[in-house]
Amino acid sequence: MKSAENKPLFVTGKVLENRNINGDYFEIVIEAPDIARNARPGQFVMLSRWNINNLFLKRPFSFYQIDAEQGRFAILYKKIGKGTEILSQSKKADQVELIGSCGNGFSLPENVGKIALVARGIGVATLLPLAIEGKKKGLEIYSFLSAREKNLLLGPDKLGPLSSHIFYTTDDDWKGTDGKVTFFLEELLKNNRTDFEAVYVCGSKRLARHIRELQKEYHFAAYISLEERMGCGIGACKGCVINTIYGYQRVCKEGPVFPLEEVILNE
Amino acid sequence: MNNKVDLSINLGNLQLKNPVMPASGTFDIRDTILNKEQLNSLGAIITKSIASHKRLGNPGPRIWETEAGMMNAVGIPAEGFEYFKENILPLLEDFCVPIIVSMVGDSITDFCQLAKKLDNFEKISALEINLSCPNLNDGLYFGTNKDVLGDLIYQLKKNTGKVVMAKLSPNVTDITEMALTAEEAGADIIIIANTFLGMAIDSEKLIPRLGNKVGGISGPGIRPIIVRMIWEASQRVKIPIVGVGGITSTRDALEMFLAGASAVQVGSANFSNPYVMLNIIEGIAGYLNKKI
Repeated sequence: MKSAENKPLFVTGKVLENRNINGDYFEIVIEAPDIARNARPGQFVMLSRWNINNLFLKRPFSFYQIDAEQGRFAILYKKIGKGTEILSQSKKADQVELIGSCGNGFSLPENVGKIALVARGIGVATLLPLAIEGKKKGLEIYSFLSAREKNLLLGPDKLGPLSSHIFYTTDDDWKGTDGKVTFFLEELLKNNRTDFEAVYVCGSKRLARHIRELQKEYHFAAYISLEERMGCGIGACKGCVINTIYGYQRVCKEGPVFPLEEVILNE
Repeated sequence: MNNKVDLSINLGNLQLKNPVMPASGTFDIRDTILNKEQLNSLGAIITKSIASHKRLGNPGPRIWETEAGMMNAVGIPAEGFEYFKENILPLLEDFCVPIIVSMVGDSITDFCQLAKKLDNFEKISALEINLSCPNLNDGLYFGTNKDVLGDLIYQLKKNTGKVVMAKLSPNVTDITEMALTAEEAGADIIIIANTFLGMAIDSEKLIPRLGNKVGGISGPGIRPIIVRMIWEASQRVKIPIVGVGGITSTRDALEMFLAGASAVQVGSANFSNPYVMLNIIEGIAGYLNKKI
């Protein structure tokens, strides 16, 4: 997991497009060839479209799509605070400051087989580049999506074509499950004896805990992508720690992707 | 860089090629975007705090942005001496600028023993004493109690031949009194100051924003208070003052020099702009060129 990544760069990027997807969700496409070239699924950028005297810190965003050849990447984000409010007003040709690419991304399994992607809400943003890379490698992808409301379910359009199977539940429509999208994963593991080379989860610690329970019983490799408030994004400030079986680890440096069994989730 | 202006200074017994250096805690030579050449263009390099034994720091969340800066409750996680010797000290060999080692301790004895060990390494030019930690013997913070502060600096000086830089806490009624105490106890340089204690509470979740409940405020919001403190202390103390707190630009650094600082440290502004120290060095040269 801890492959040697390239050192992050501090560069200016250009906004190519920023559009509202639905509700408070936006997708922004940014041109920054030096970052896009080395970006890996699961990694992130620190971004500001504001002056330090306006908002003091940059904000971390994971890569939603990476186009190394065209030198651009996309971010899927939810307008939730001051930073994303300013970001949501971005227009074509605006400049953004970037530090990236940061952190340790996902690793795909050595063997060709099945992988499961489990996301809640905006968590799907982090898993899409992994699905794209997995598909290229010939892996069979099972996607499990969950959201608060049906119209907020992100990703079926993008993940659907990449997945051999896609499952989803929303809090307002359970479809006969117990409300957890991991119900489908459990069915596959238990009744169909489906083997997964790896399971990846992002967007909900509750979902991650369910997967941890399943992992204990069915012994698959599992990885979680985490988020935390960050100061620097490059490991210097030690501000974004989470608790693991090895003690505090920095989400920006040792993470944001961690082996699921190493993370202490019940906090 | 403008070559016409010589920015070098003598900071006590330290010779710096310019008066700009990072503030400990916001900078780590293991985790920086700056390359070796850029790092060697700084006035000095400061390590993350080290302690006699590994310190874990506080539970998260450790960061909260404020209206004009940020709060942190990182809690001074620190590598122990052995780790420092094996893993960090060798990295410092790459640098040709003065190396300042930031130290944190639980007691005067703890500080002194660590200082004694560090005294053996020629590569280290100075020890920066982080006084914003409690003395476990009596629970008093070194930086906010005049007697403990004086005693610590006095004892430290007996255990080290290195330049001692006392990083004062701003959470006191009278910074001049603390600065004079450090000077009388034998400090070679004082640093004004550190973060201001603060607190933020989440009115939705009904809990503090920081895992440690309270944290240290840094950033532009504190700068005018720091400038005032530097000005006050500089009227009385004779040893050099290093200013730190909320510098984000050349203009901010100049303000501290004009208040009485001989050098400055740049802290949390490094997070948003990793080139900020380089920009400030160039900016000071440009300013002096215009003024001379």
